[in-house]
Amino acid sequence: MITAERKPLSEIKEMIAPYRKILVVGCGSCVAECASGGEKETGLLGSALRMDAKSSKKEIEVKEMTLDRQCVYEFINQLTDVIDQYDVVLSLGCGAGVQAVAGVFPKVHIVPALNTTFIGETKEAGLWVESCRACGDCKLGFFAAVCPVTRCAKGLFNGPCGGSRTDRCEVDPDVPCAWQLIVSRLEEMGRLDLLRKVHPPADWSKQQGKGPRKIHREDQST
Amino acid sequence: MDQKSAGLNITIFFCQQIDPDQDTNRRALEKELGKRIRFFPLPCSGRIDPLHLMGALESGADKVYLVTCPEGACRYQEGNLRARKRIAYTQGLIEEIGLERERLELIITPAGNPVTVDELARGLLAREALIGPSPIRG
Amino acid sequence: MKTDSQLKKVLNRGEFAVTAECGPPKGADPEAVRNKGRILKGYVDSVNVTDNQTGVVRLCSLAACALLKQEGLDPVLQMVTRDRNRIALQSDILGASALGIRNILCLSGDHQSFGNQPHSKGVFDIDSVQLVQAVRQMRDRGHIIGGDKLTEPPRLFIGAVANPFADPFKYRVARLATKVDAGAEFIQTQCIYNLNRFKEWMGLVKEYGLDNQVYILGGITPLKSARMAEYMAAQVAGMDIPVEIINRMKSVPAKEQRQEGIRIAVETIEALKEIEGVHGVHIMAIEWEDAVPQIVEEGKLFPRPEV
Ligand code: SF4
Ligand code: SF4
Repeated sequence: MITAERKPLSEIKEMIAPYRKILVVGCGSCVAECASGGEKETGLLGSALRMDAKSSKKEIEVKEMTLDRQCVYEFINQLTDVIDQYDVVLSLGCGAGVQAVAGVFPKVHIVPALNTTFIGETKEAGLWVESCRACGDCKLGFFAAVCPVTRCAKGLFNGPCGGSRTDRCEVDPDVPCAWQLIVSRLEEMGRLDLLRKVHPPADWSKQQGKGPRKIHREDQST
Repeated sequence: MDQKSAGLNITIFFCQQIDPDQDTNRRALEKELGKRIRFFPLPCSGRIDPLHLMGALESGADKVYLVTCPEGACRYQEGNLRARKRIAYTQGLIEEIGLERERLELIITPAGNPVTVDELARGLLAREALIGPSPIRG
Repeated sequence: MKTDSQLKKVLNRGEFAVTAECGPPKGADPEAVRNKGRILKGYVDSVNVTDNQTGVVRLCSLAACALLKQEGLDPVLQMVTRDRNRIALQSDILGASALGIRNILCLSGDHQSFGNQPHSKGVFDIDSVQLVQAVRQMRDRGHIIGGDKLTEPPRLFIGAVANPFADPFKYRVARLATKVDAGAEFIQTQCIYNLNRFKEWMGLVKEYGLDNQVYILGGITPLKSARMAEYMAAQVAGMDIPVEIINRMKSVPAKEQRQEGIRIAVETIEALKEIEGVHGVHIMAIEWEDAVPQIVEEGKLFPRPEV
């Protein structure tokens, strides 16, 4: 899932300061799962903004609305009938959601309420960790399903750096060293042979492309 | 001056386990103070959502209490712990809009000393009013 | 400039090699580099120049190497993959060779979050092993990553680092083997204070038959004080300083601790000379380059061979 965190209210307030009628739009998918942009969080933000305006004697109108997915046209379309009544859309979608809405309504002012952070997994209630950088060339098969691109602070493909002691990463002792995990998992599986060859330089063009990447599938298109 | 005479609007979210007769017990007080006091029974204080707390403040409460059952007595085990975290989270949020975190308060009822919800509320109303009316009341 | 690597010549002759580390200044002052070079000249075979070590911006390694070359030293260009992508790295490799620099040490580098530019983007386009491989291909096959031919290959003696004290211990030697496979010709190790563990590691190196395939230079860092020893033991990633060493440093009065640090360094050198498969030492006297001549002399490594 895509994870995100709400921006500080001060930053949000600055972005919406020029506007009076605000539509706060949440998203019911990834950012709802990570409790940053779902219906609840959208409600909280709306409420906070209204209270803030009231206590500073500012006249604003804040309305909330949450789409099931803010990055898919069919759902964005639900905004069509209401969006013109507002001066600005404050989106609690991930970066893709914000841009998808902007793409559908070219004249609408839209600003993000979240900082989109990473592709990650829910480790436990309230804890999300990054696990994939969408490199476009998944090599988990060589690394016992521990991503060296993401989980090694230096993105090393050919073994641990010189700083790994015990099982913690030298860069952040709160994080396990990816390479300790890779080695011990491969050892467990009897597949240390996978580490014998030198992994050649990665093909980052699969990640960076020529600017934004796209996937186009004939069989899926209408 | 106590909170009652200061004319503060009080909202009380509370765990139903505290007082099985809460429904009847709170009537007199509700009649007496009208809109100045509002009670919201919860099946467990852990069910509180920051949205409820924000909603109470937004609709004009000056002080919002969340009353939990005694520590360790939660029927749902960790409900009152969760309540504490939710309060803390919402306090952070209201601070961002310039409200005092004291407008939200967690009250843990003492163990082995059952109280009715109206006794409890009167006790809270009799407290010294340390904050004034909320700017949200307008 | 058809000179060859002094380090390579010394090692090929079977002599016990001595290299030292030189940290460039945090400014544009060439004299700072030259002065360090003058202190070291004659006492070492080659001088490593660090590449923005610990992520702190300093005069670049390539320029400092060129300055040392002018002073008549044989520089070892340290190159980390943290700051430059493969285009920049390969380009600098060609530039280094053109300037007469004949040695390169390939590292991934300390993470940028440790330095004075913690908000920078860590590049890590390739890793240290891939860098070794790239240099080797450039030199021996005359092509860069991707296969494009060079008009003139770089002439570089290729090194890498190893940390015998990091975990997972057993895998460390396998990792060294990977570096050797990739093309490393000499290895400089992390500073050695725990001789027992180092010997254990060398045992594994021999088991893998690596001692015949690569020159190993043991890392030496003289301790300046008991405080430094304690700090390094606790704070520096991948550092193994046994309590006995710390206690030994503490057992002498503060103003004699520098001498004690040098004595430990000299004893370690003596011990390393006795270990089969160790081909030299690499002295990293951090901001204390003037300790190097004394260590080299007391370690009976002076004068350096003329080759
Ligand atoms: S290898 Fe690439 S695709 Fe696979 S988990 Fe890592 S970043 Fe994601
Ligand atoms: S300690 Fe492990 S995870 Fe951290 S940078 Fe080094 S190899 Fe990567």
